[in-house]
Amino acid sequence: MITFKLNGQDVSVDVDGDTPLLWVIRDELGLTGTKFGCGIGMCGACTVHVGGRATRSCATPASYVSGAEVVTIEGLDPKGAHPLQTAWSELNVPQCGYCQSGQIMQAAALLKDIPDPTDDDIDAVMTGNLCRCMTYIRIRDAVRKAAATMKGAKNG
Amino acid sequence: MKKIIASVGGLAAVAAAAFGLYAYHGEIGPRDAREKPAFDSAVVAKGRELAAAGFCAECHTQPGQAPYAGNYPLDTGFGIIYGSNLTPDPETGIGLWTEAAFNRALKQGVDRKGRNLFPAFPYDHFTKMTDEDVRAVYAYLMSEVKPVRNQVKDSTIPFPLNIRWLQSGWKLLFVDFGTYQPDKGKSDLWNRGAYLVEGVSHCGACHTPRNLLGGEEKSRQFEGAVIDKWIAPALTSANASVVPWTAKDLSGYLKSGVSQYHGVSVGPMGPVVHAGLRKLPDRDVEAIGVYLADKLKTPDFDPAKNPLVQASLATGRTDRTYRDDEGKRLYVTACASCHYNVKEVLPARPDLAINSATRISAPDNLIQVILNGVVSDDGIQGVVMPRFRDALSDQEIAAIVNYLRGQRAQLKPWDDVERKVGEIRKATTTRH
Amino acid sequence: MADDLRKSPRSAVALPRASRRGFLVAMASTVAMFGFPLGADAAIAPGEPGERPITPNGKMFEPTIWYWIDQAGRINVHVINAEIGQHIGTATARILADELDADWKDIHIEHVDVAPKWGNMVTGGSMSVWGAWPRYRQAGAAGRVALIEAAAKLWGVAPESCQTRNSMVTSGTHSISYGELVASGLSRSFTDAELKALPLKPVSDLRLVGRNVVELDVPDKTDGKALFGIDAKVEGMVYGVPLLPPTRLGSSVVSIDDSVAKGMKGYIRTVDLKDPTGIVPGVVVVIGQSLMAAKWASEKVKVTWTAGPTAALTEQQMLDRARALIRDAGVGTILDTGDTETAPIFAKAAETLEAEYTCASVLHFQLEPVNATALRNTSGTWEVHTGTQWPSLILPALEQAVGAKSGEVEIKSYLCGGGFGRRLNGDYAVVGLLASKAMDGKPVKVVFFREEDALFDSFRSPSVQRLRMAFDKGKQVLAMDHDAAAGWTMEAMGLGAGMTKGKDGRTFDPNSIDGADHYYSVGPHKVRAISLDLANQLRIGFLRSVGPGWTNFALESFMDEAAHKVGVDPVQFRLAHLKPEGRNAGSLPSSVGGAARQAHVLKRVVELSGYGKQEAPGKDSAIGIATTYGQNRLSPTWIACAAKVHVERKSGTITVQKLWIVVDCGVVIDPDGSLAQIQGGALWGVSLAVLEGTTIENGRPRDRNLGTYKPLRMIDTPELAIEFVKSTAAPVGLGEPGVTVVAPAIANAVFNAVGVRVRHLPMTPDVVKKALTS
Repeated sequence: MITFKLNGQDVSVDVDGDTPLLWVIRDELGLTGTKFGCGIGMCGACTVHVGGRATRSCATPASYVSGAEVVTIEGLDPKGAHPLQTAWSELNVPQCGYCQSGQIMQAAALLKDIPDPTDDDIDAVMTGNLCRCMTYIRIRDAVRKAAATMKGAKNG
Repeated sequence: MKKIIASVGGLAAVAAAAFGLYAYHGEIGPRDAREKPAFDSAVVAKGRELAAAGFCAECHTQPGQAPYAGNYPLDTGFGIIYGSNLTPDPETGIGLWTEAAFNRALKQGVDRKGRNLFPAFPYDHFTKMTDEDVRAVYAYLMSEVKPVRNQVKDSTIPFPLNIRWLQSGWKLLFVDFGTYQPDKGKSDLWNRGAYLVEGVSHCGACHTPRNLLGGEEKSRQFEGAVIDKWIAPALTSANASVVPWTAKDLSGYLKSGVSQYHGVSVGPMGPVVHAGLRKLPDRDVEAIGVYLADKLKTPDFDPAKNPLVQASLATGRTDRTYRDDEGKRLYVTACASCHYNVKEVLPARPDLAINSATRISAPDNLIQVILNGVVSDDGIQGVVMPRFRDALSDQEIAAIVNYLRGQRAQLKPWDDVERKVGEIRKATTTRH
Repeated sequence: MADDLRKSPRSAVALPRASRRGFLVAMASTVAMFGFPLGADAAIAPGEPGERPITPNGKMFEPTIWYWIDQAGRINVHVINAEIGQHIGTATARILADELDADWKDIHIEHVDVAPKWGNMVTGGSMSVWGAWPRYRQAGAAGRVALIEAAAKLWGVAPESCQTRNSMVTSGTHSISYGELVASGLSRSFTDAELKALPLKPVSDLRLVGRNVVELDVPDKTDGKALFGIDAKVEGMVYGVPLLPPTRLGSSVVSIDDSVAKGMKGYIRTVDLKDPTGIVPGVVVVIGQSLMAAKWASEKVKVTWTAGPTAALTEQQMLDRARALIRDAGVGTILDTGDTETAPIFAKAAETLEAEYTCASVLHFQLEPVNATALRNTSGTWEVHTGTQWPSLILPALEQAVGAKSGEVEIKSYLCGGGFGRRLNGDYAVVGLLASKAMDGKPVKVVFFREEDALFDSFRSPSVQRLRMAFDKGKQVLAMDHDAAAGWTMEAMGLGAGMTKGKDGRTFDPNSIDGADHYYSVGPHKVRAISLDLANQLRIGFLRSVGPGWTNFALESFMDEAAHKVGVDPVQFRLAHLKPEGRNAGSLPSSVGGAARQAHVLKRVVELSGYGKQEAPGKDSAIGIATTYGQNRLSPTWIACAAKVHVERKSGTITVQKLWIVVDCGVVIDPDGSLAQIQGGALWGVSLAVLEGTTIENGRPRDRNLGTYKPLRMIDTPELAIEFVKSTAAPVGLGEPGVTVVAPAIANAVFNAVGVRVRHLPMTPDVVKKALTS
């Protein structure tokens, strides 16, 4: 049994500890917002938060997160209205949408560490997240927009 | 950590043959097992802390089994030594041991029956402990640990290395018996740190190089060593860190598992922090920091202004030329999302150009972490790093390692990195 | 953006958004959260709870098959295209809603499951909006007319006195909502002839078309609710992982040894699919209780195959073969491009120019690896749950695979995690269905891991093209030849019977040659399409921009080469030959304006970019220009691009700094969505031009994953400046044209920057360095 917190709830799963966290989340725990892209940690579609850090769940064995707190796109915000999600909708960022859960999770971690990123900072952190529809320009715009919103909320 | 201590024990045995007389110790009679030992709860609590600070459970617990029940297999290379049962079980544990017997084991390396212990058990450090502290550990084990009947297996060390009295020679050569004596010229805090470091926490067991016979080389104390395909870095002025460790860095690291300018506690160091030192009172951890910082000869400075830190941040910036170098391209696509920093190094975003793993003498630690990641219990608690063993080839990992060493840290390249990746990959195979 | 509806709360169209999020995480169990009941209708409905289609509330009115209105006033639009990121549901619904005068808040969309009544369901070739425009306008007009008739009758007024707006009919002081009218009972239907005769609004009266909204599929793509094929979940399903034969076609299984796997936890069995369709010969699937159980077992199952004939095939052999075919004047099909008698002209031309262009194989690398979940449901029907761009094509093959009669196999639609043409080819659905068949109809979800997805890819064929131009003494263009040898996907996929007839009576695959039949007036013009048989044997496929992706690289590079040869500026050279006359004049409905519209976008992009006017943008930097008609000569999307690049001589690295693009696609239905398509297409263009490509080794793509495959990432993204021409012409497609124009613009810029002509895609540093030193 591997026990951890998923989106604030205690979960226990009876899986081989080598099973990538991604498949535990998707197939055992039924949350399919986190996606499988490359399986080698180089496309970012599977990004979740472990202990608040953006983590590639496809390359993270389930046993590694024992006792940790895992958050997926479904748990990023109770209403799905994190400033990044709002910006993503308003700017119509997604095309096919497949990579976007990972993009948003990566961006959320980015803004936590670097609240006021430059384009170069966004590029450096987000380049690990592949978007095959190539919505990069809008992703950048949306990250900046969300950063401004979050900054405003903090100051106001 | 455990393995190396065990294997030096085996080697040492060979050299000890001539010291037969010196080797004799008598048996200490059993205590009455029906008598429930009574200790003051404060003493027991202190013993609990010290047992943690000495990582006793690590070598005396089989994974998944009852704590301290023994049989943890230490592969020495010569054979396997099984950790003894430290629970108060009268038949298979230490239930019949008097405090005096326990004290003799810790401070002289001799068991209740009078047999020499293999120096896999670091009595060469525990001998520095005060009788009072030894008593506290005894009190903790006898009153708080649940007795478990678990017969410890015989070691598989072959003849003649298994002749216990031969160990006496090794003792004569390499062990400086006796309780720690404070240095009057130093502060109380420093002395407290020295007492813990040299004694119960036995830092030198991993961080001090050993001679051919497996004894710690006193003249090279804390100069760093290889353990289980990991590097225990130097804790002297030879430490390769860009940003010298301050007392505060050290105590912070030993408390949290992470240091902003140096990295996280992984591999053999993972449990040292998370199952061990962090359980000591803050003041003790602070004392260890003070003592080690002195050993490291740390100058007084502001790390954030260190030009090498600034240089690291600068080489961490990237642009579209990242594709020109395979190592850099892989780093930018697979690593930078977590390891990129802007104006300062954030503790949770280890900056790999100044990270110890990139700057020490060999690539082992860097390779280990890329291959096998960091589990939630190690490093920063609750945070993990994915493992790339199934994701990247030896050649790709070598490219990343060489990029970090050469272009980021701008240090002399390591030799033969790809082969080393293959070796460590093989030595750390997983089931699937 | 005053005219912007994007902030209109979508919550008004369905249940309040917050309530749908109530079930955030309820788990600690393995209960499927999104499982469809067996046999249920699984059509996908972006924006609805669980992405399930809404059902009519009370009475409903269905003026045509394309939508219904219920008595609650909800309008459910039936979309027959797959959602692959182009927001086609929103675009389609908007065409309908505008003509129907519906309130946007009443609109719901449903991507319907495949059925004969919908006709050929295919999403490709940038044709969806072009196809939807007349169809949904008619449908909207039908509803509007019927509602007005009913209201007029109700009030006893003349229909001409009624107006419609925001789902209401009004006349004088009367007013009634569409929902109320439906509640009163409406059953008007229309014949085809009636539909065609319906009055349509003039383009200038359209209110929704041309305005921005939040795309209906977008919110669910920001919170993990969107359902892709890989998210399909069926009670009791097991998992399958394919083991692929050494060659894509022609291999057969000799033996399977699963003795080691048998001892592994969660392993069920290994099934030889014994494919009767010939689409996936030799594929074996390892079945497990969990995906990883199947995966780990698959690493221990030993399959012996006899390999097909392509087992040792290399990229170089394909290119050599292409060259040999081009040299053989007897092969290939001559397209009908008017006067094609170029040989006599070349024979006596004062000067000629000839150049060869090559393009490497390219992977789709759509981010959702192909997958399919299949089962036989309790009513005996086979269900295949998957995302596909062309369900109508694969359905008969699926029926054949399980020996079912028409109607006994249903394809359940899901969103596609990237199409790019990969999912026009439904071969993976055959794998899923046969795996379930081998398990006696038990639900099986087959997932291709990335490496298998790459091996199984119907990648873009490599190609060789030879272009020639004849000039007179005055350096005027007399004639042009364009020979293109590339895989013919239609042949590879068994669609040979549907190919196009050429001038010589032979057939050809237009997907391999579109673009070569350009709108330039060059005198006699001979375009010869040649099927690269070796590529067809690898079951190559359609990749975003298909033929125009390579023909325009050659054509537009060659136009620059020709201009330089005659000493004319490349823009002026093009403009001189873009004459709206003869077969280049264009015609209604879709190509109206012809070469004049292409000339316009070209001139406009020159203005925007400052090409030729400003100082050189720096050492080894320059701007290059190209223009194309997009995908199809009969429904052209006029597009021109200026690319500013820098060439690093030492490494050979091309850095694309900025692209200016001007597009004329007729009426812009969805401005923001259109921009997104051109943005994505242009960046695909950059990626295909300078970054990505693979090589065939031993009959398979060398690159299998991102360790070596290097598509464009965020940091590689150049600045984009995109402009749409205002037009009232019929709308045409936007998914691919953006791709076609970029590679040649970059190649021309490279020439302008460093004086070297690169005639190979991708223009990787090695290729550029070689060109620089040769």
